[in-house]
Order: sequence, then structure tokens, then C-alpha cells
Amino acid sequence: MELFLERLISGLTNGSIYALLALALVVVFRGTGTLNFAQGELALFTTFVAWWLTTQSIPVWIAIVAALVLGFVMGALIERTLIRPVQRRNDMAVLIVALGLFTGLNSLAGLLWGSETKIMPSPFPNGLDDYVSIGGARLYFDALGVWGALIVLMFLMTLLFKKTKIGLHMRAVADNPESATLAGVRTSRVLAIGWGLSGAIGALAGVLVTPLAPQQLGLTTMFSIFIAASAAALFGGLDSLVGAIVGGLVIGVLEAMLTGYISIIGGSLQQTSALIIIVAILFVRPNGLFGTQKLVRV
Amino acid sequence: MTLLTIEDLHAGYGPSDVLHGLSMTVEAGEVVVVLGANGAGKTTTMRAIAGLIGRRGTIELDGVPLGRRPEQVVGSGISLVPQGRGTLGQLSVLDNLLVGAALRTDKDGVQADIDRWCEVFPVLGRRQGQLAGSLSGGEQQMLAVARALMSRPRLLLCDEPSLGLAPIVVQELFATLSEINKTDGTALMIVEQNAELAMDLASRVYLLDVGTIAATGTPADFRADDAVRAAYLGY
Repeated sequence: MELFLERLISGLTNGSIYALLALALVVVFRGTGTLNFAQGELALFTTFVAWWLTTQSIPVWIAIVAALVLGFVMGALIERTLIRPVQRRNDMAVLIVALGLFTGLNSLAGLLWGSETKIMPSPFPNGLDDYVSIGGARLYFDALGVWGALIVLMFLMTLLFKKTKIGLHMRAVADNPESATLAGVRTSRVLAIGWGLSGAIGALAGVLVTPLAPQQLGLTTMFSIFIAASAAALFGGLDSLVGAIVGGLVIGVLEAMLTGYISIIGGSLQQTSALIIIVAILFVRPNGLFGTQKLVRV
Repeated sequence: MTLLTIEDLHAGYGPSDVLHGLSMTVEAGEVVVVLGANGAGKTTTMRAIAGLIGRRGTIELDGVPLGRRPEQVVGSGISLVPQGRGTLGQLSVLDNLLVGAALRTDKDGVQADIDRWCEVFPVLGRRQGQLAGSLSGGEQQMLAVARALMSRPRLLLCDEPSLGLAPIVVQELFATLSEINKTDGTALMIVEQNAELAMDLASRVYLLDVGTIAATGTPADFRADDAVRAAYLGY
């Protein structure tokens, strides 16, 4: 029972991170209609900046805020300078540009900070004794902090999309760009804000996941997380915020259970659990579990 | 007084132009109907005015050059009801109307306008919270008109508003458009296949052919001209 609870806790914690990065993917997908392959590496790069700031004896909380702001600026700039010019020609080109960014940002991080892994400090107390005991299982405060971050972000996103004008405009552009444009919505600004927002959310995922044991900040840190997050986004249908969150948590927990209880999967086949989930979901429901099936009446 | 002046308009898609030096005017508070065969450039004209496609030539509103970006066009008082209605299907009816007020900052005025259009189109009032994609074709057309009116335009461009609608719904829609034209003085430019019905509202008719104006006159002139009547009015 203890072991089960510990696996559940660790699954939910990893799942929260997947959910965050999946949210970032969904925000971009809704606006631009493509999967941003560079999302994970953008998160990695901003996390490296946060880590570097902490080595300059800047408090970790300030470093995190700086990383979020940088994530927003980089996301918006990437949309403006790289995505928009090629999207006018071809949607597939956007994917290629994103792939280029993926390798480019990774190499840039390697060039600036080297390939050895770094230790990113946690914004939450994370000593060996910083836990509460639940049914014998240890729930560490930094895991709780990650859950809390996801809940706060969910709340803020709901507020943004349901209650603010910019959120309404983002939904309008995602739904029917031409109609939004005809109503006077500044589509280009809305898209840049969407990319910026997803850059900031990705940065949040990065700075939260790297301090968690056994994670560390290295050039390959985000690969597996990005794969799980894309699976989470697909699980939810790529355009559903709720779906991305549920997808992230489900994949996190399933991964923890599969690798924990099925010894053959163990550590080395961990990524396959995400793959199995993607294939199974797409097989049963091509639009994902929460994806919108276009409501059309003629 | 002339509201809209178009002179020597060229526009199209890609390298080839659809419009070849089109010129026309719309007076303030007037109803203008644009007729023409498929491919004559009716929709292209409207999209060029709205700023959705690039253009060459002069478009002036109240003698001032019209901006080329869609939000500038909406901001100066021209709103387009696009062909096919442009429904924001996954948004509620209410959100559709709010999107129509994208450039407005007067919250009270926006709410007053929502109340007004929900009264004019009662079905929108009853279905405010419903997803717009679930409305019938006629209801979506009314929503498209109401959404365009949310920006308080002085000129409303309607591209084939009757497309795919039952005759009774079309009559209702045209009656409402005529009513809005009379009470608010909103000028209308209507592109219509359903020429007879549209001409009942119109003070002037333009006939478009291969990207230029082939003829212009009052509805009575057009009905009296046998050649035009046979070709475009079908009787």
C-alpha cells in the first residue's frame, strides 16, 4: 500500500509537469494549428537561464520569474520572426522551423553552459525531512509545490480564457481566424501572445521539474518529458486545455504504475508507456478523448 | 453625401487580378445591390474593401483613404458579413456577439447593443449560451449580421446573405436589414444571387462583369432592360 501510494504521488507529480508542458503545446496548437516541437527545448533554455541566474546569487524565486518572462518574450519573438513568415507559405514549413529550433536551442544551451548536468535549486523546501506522511507514504513538499503550481495555473488560464477580452479573442482566432479578423481582432497580436504564453508555461514546467529528484538539468532532460507531454496533449485531443491536464496526469500515473509493477518495462522501457498510450488513444478515438469534433450544421 | 468611393480598384488572388479597375460609390444611408455572374468579382470586391486581400486603387470613406488592414476598416465603420456566415462555432452565441465588439471599449454600450440585437433577433436572445455551431443556417446568418453590427458600422457589406436559406427566412432577413437601414441609417452593400428580393431594398444596382462595372442604374432601369433582365434576373 505504501509503495502504491508513493508511486501514485510520483506519478501525479511527473503528470503535473507533463500537464503543464501539454498545456503549452495546446495553447500553440489552438492558435497556429501545429505541434511546436521546440516547446521542450524552449523550456530547457529558459530553465538554464534560471539556473545561471541562481549561480549569480540571485534568489531562486526571482530567477524563476525571470525565466517565465524570458519564456514569454522568446515565444512571442519566435512567432513573429520565424513562424509567421513561413506559415503564410506552408503549414508544413512551420513544423520544419520548429524542428530546427529544437536542435538550435539545445545546441545554444550546450554552447553557453556546457554538456555536464547542473543542479537546479528548488523554490520549495526539499530537504530529506520536508515531507508529510500519508498512509506511510512520503509526500514531499516540492511535489506538493508542483501540484499547487498546476492548480494555480489552471485557475489563471480559466480566468484568462473565460473572463478576459484577450482570452475571448484567443478563442475566436483559434475557432475561425478570418471571422475574428473581420470583427477587428488583431489576429497577429493574439497569435504572438499565445506563443508567448506557451513559452512562459513551458518555462514554468522546466524550472519545476529540474529540481525534482532524480531529475537534473542537462541537455537531454526535456526529451522524455516532451514526449510524455505530447502524448498528454494528444490524449486530450490537442485542442482541449482540460484534456491536456487530464492527459498529463493519466500518463504520469500510468507510467509510474507500469514501470513500477511490470518489471520488464522497468527503467529502460519507460518511454514506451507513453507510446503505448498514444497509439491506444488514437486507435480508439482519433480526436483524442477531449478533442472537439467539429460541430457543423448546414 | 458620398460615404464610400471606390476608384480604379484592382485586386485578386496570387499573381492574377480578378478586379480590373472597378469604380463605384455608396451614398450615406443608401442600399446598393451588386449583381453579376459567378466569377465576376463580387466577393473579391467585398474582401478587398474589408482588407482581407491586397489591393491597388483608391478606396475612400467620407473622402478619407480607407486603411488596408481589417481592423482599420472595422474601426472606420465598415463591417463585412462574409459569405458562408463565418460562425465562430465553438463559441457561444453571446461570445460571438462580444467578438463582434472587439474594437469597442464602451462596456455599457456593448451590453446595450447585445440586448438590442437579441431583441431584433429573438432566437439569438433565447440561445445566448448555446454553441453557435449548433444554430440552424438561418440562425447563423442572423448571428453573422448581428456580430457585424456590433461594431456599429455605417456601412454593412453583406455577401450572399440568402445562400442556403429557406425563402421565408430570406424574406425575414431582408425585412430586418431594411429596418436597420431605415432606423439607423446604416448603408448596405448587398451581393445577392437572389436579385429580385435584394432589388426591392435597393436604391441603386451595380452590374459587375469580369472585374469591372458593366452597368449601373436604379432597380427600375434594370427591370426595364430586357437584356439585363434575361441575363441576371432570370425572367
